[in-house]
Amino acid sequence: MKFGIFFELSVPRPFSRAIERQVYDTSLEQCRVADQLGFDHAWAVEHHFLEEYSHCSAPEVFLAAVAAQTSRIRVGHGAVVCVPEMNHPVRVAERAAALDIISGGRLELGTARSSTWTELGGFGADPDDTKKTWDEFVRVIPKMWTEDAFSWEGKSFSMPERNVLPKPYQDPHPPMWVTVTSPGTELDAAERGLGCLGVAAVSYEEQDRRTADYHRRIANCEPVGSVVNDQVHTMNFLYCHEDYKVAKKVGLPMANTFNVANAHLYWTREAYATSAYQALGNVGRSLQQAAAPADDPSAAKGLPEGLGVGDPDHLIRVIKRWESVGVTGINFILNAMELIPQEQVLESLRLFAREVIPAFRDSSVALQPVYAPTSIPGATTVGGTGR
Amino acid sequence: MITGTAHVETLTQEIATIEQWSNLGAELLGVESFQLIAEMRSTAREAVLPAGLHPTSPPALSIQAWNVAESPWGPFSFATTRVSCRSGVRARGFTTAAVASTATAAEGLTGCFGFPTTVGPVKLRRHYDGVDLESEGLVVTGLDPTPLGSSDVQYTGTLNLANTPNGLRLVQVEATHSGDRVERVQGRILDFDPAQWGNSLLSPYHVVSTSIAVETINLPAVRFVCRPGELAFSGTEKIEIEQR
Repeated sequence: MKFGIFFELSVPRPFSRAIERQVYDTSLEQCRVADQLGFDHAWAVEHHFLEEYSHCSAPEVFLAAVAAQTSRIRVGHGAVVCVPEMNHPVRVAERAAALDIISGGRLELGTARSSTWTELGGFGADPDDTKKTWDEFVRVIPKMWTEDAFSWEGKSFSMPERNVLPKPYQDPHPPMWVTVTSPGTELDAAERGLGCLGVAAVSYEEQDRRTADYHRRIANCEPVGSVVNDQVHTMNFLYCHEDYKVAKKVGLPMANTFNVANAHLYWTREAYATSAYQALGNVGRSLQQAAAPADDPSAAKGLPEGLGVGDPDHLIRVIKRWESVGVTGINFILNAMELIPQEQVLESLRLFAREVIPAFRDSSVALQPVYAPTSIPGATTVGGTGR
Repeated sequence: MITGTAHVETLTQEIATIEQWSNLGAELLGVESFQLIAEMRSTAREAVLPAGLHPTSPPALSIQAWNVAESPWGPFSFATTRVSCRSGVRARGFTTAAVASTATAAEGLTGCFGFPTTVGPVKLRRHYDGVDLESEGLVVTGLDPTPLGSSDVQYTGTLNLANTPNGLRLVQVEATHSGDRVERVQGRILDFDPAQWGNSLLSPYHVVSTSIAVETINLPAVRFVCRPGELAFSGTEKIEIEQR
């Protein structure tokens, strides 16, 4: 089981230059502490124009700082929006490779297509095309990373032969992921040999179904890159305290604040009639966790099913449940709108690392390099993580 | 999180009155429907909504129209404008004005569901290459239909500010749409008089998407209302059967 932290960089109103700086500073400190504590991944999203919810429009810059200020935690650039109006695929490949070098081979690249009209409309992107351009991007980026003479005649872009530089530090290239919210996207990931980066905390039952479908499909995938990443990660919230009542009192409002902000986004489907976006809502909708079933460890404590809020023993039971349905990693949101004071966030992280992580792996393992992609039989040999 | 800042007094100048709650909904059959979504200037974001609602960003206006072949009130045409918003975590449209072509339909839509409906001309005309919509202070056109799936258009629930047996409330109308034929068209707003449509701050300037459909619309009996000055998390009231 891998443990990550996940950043939207949400900023509370009233907006000021100072609060923007504070959110970036506290988040970077959380990354440094998580790195020392043995967390495996630090992810940062790409969003544009999403007031309050996410001011993380240049994640590669934030993550370059994370890479420079840490030594072992893997750097999750995800998800990069694979829409040409926002990112030319060459720029995605270049920036990611540079980040991989800066981090000493610690990059994970997530891919996505954006869900809000606020973002797609702001860049003049056609919602009908985003799934197609995403598919094109995930196929060309590994080629740009590995071929010295890359050329392309495609739908969203074409280019004559060039050597896209630099090449990433990891050989053959960093692991790739797809963010998964709507049912069915996990199959898109599996067919392409890409990791399943869940950004919606679904029920145990739903996750079990998705994971099984994912593994069935990825066993016969046609990988778009030179490595297969068969990991299944989900997103969750984290607030850990010795007293579950305190955890509940502090952690639930944080989760609710995030969920409400998410529900207030202006979803593409609401604005634009299209078959390309079938779900109204994204993370928050699915993170409105139902009351826990009677046999769930959360039920007795009045906590929603599967939520990472509680005392250490409770969180161990919750994570064991996630593990039992095939989840190989959980990425935690630690705060929303700076609702929880930074020292409490860090204490929660420390307690989790001290009491919960050891239940899933030996403490000596916790501080070792984190993850190497699964190699494809017959494909280019994976050179490891370069660390 | 931002909420509406409009004074309720300014929103209640021409609101509907629901004398008593009804168990009965209304089924509208053989409906030719039209929906246009347009972004508005940010000056219309908080200022056109009551404090109980959250605006979307960017603010957006939906213009909807129906040609109804069969209903409890007979055939009629209808047009309405709604500001996109959130009630709690739910996507909604706050109605700023509505026009029905017959007095019977206007009375039904007002008295049962709280639409602030006046009687006036509404002409929704489909033709081979598109659609035209005309009403007082409103001229819209849509060209070049492209077929879509029946579930490819999102209709959000409606909130109508009305005097009700519970007091002044936002009345939740959760219509269901069963489309037989859905098409996207290239929409253009040729004329829009914001004052005529409920608020001089309404400023639809950038059309996002326009669709037309042939469908059945079901307006179920009202089940929930919200206090207009209070967020839905605490301000929502269920309409009890005994009250009806």
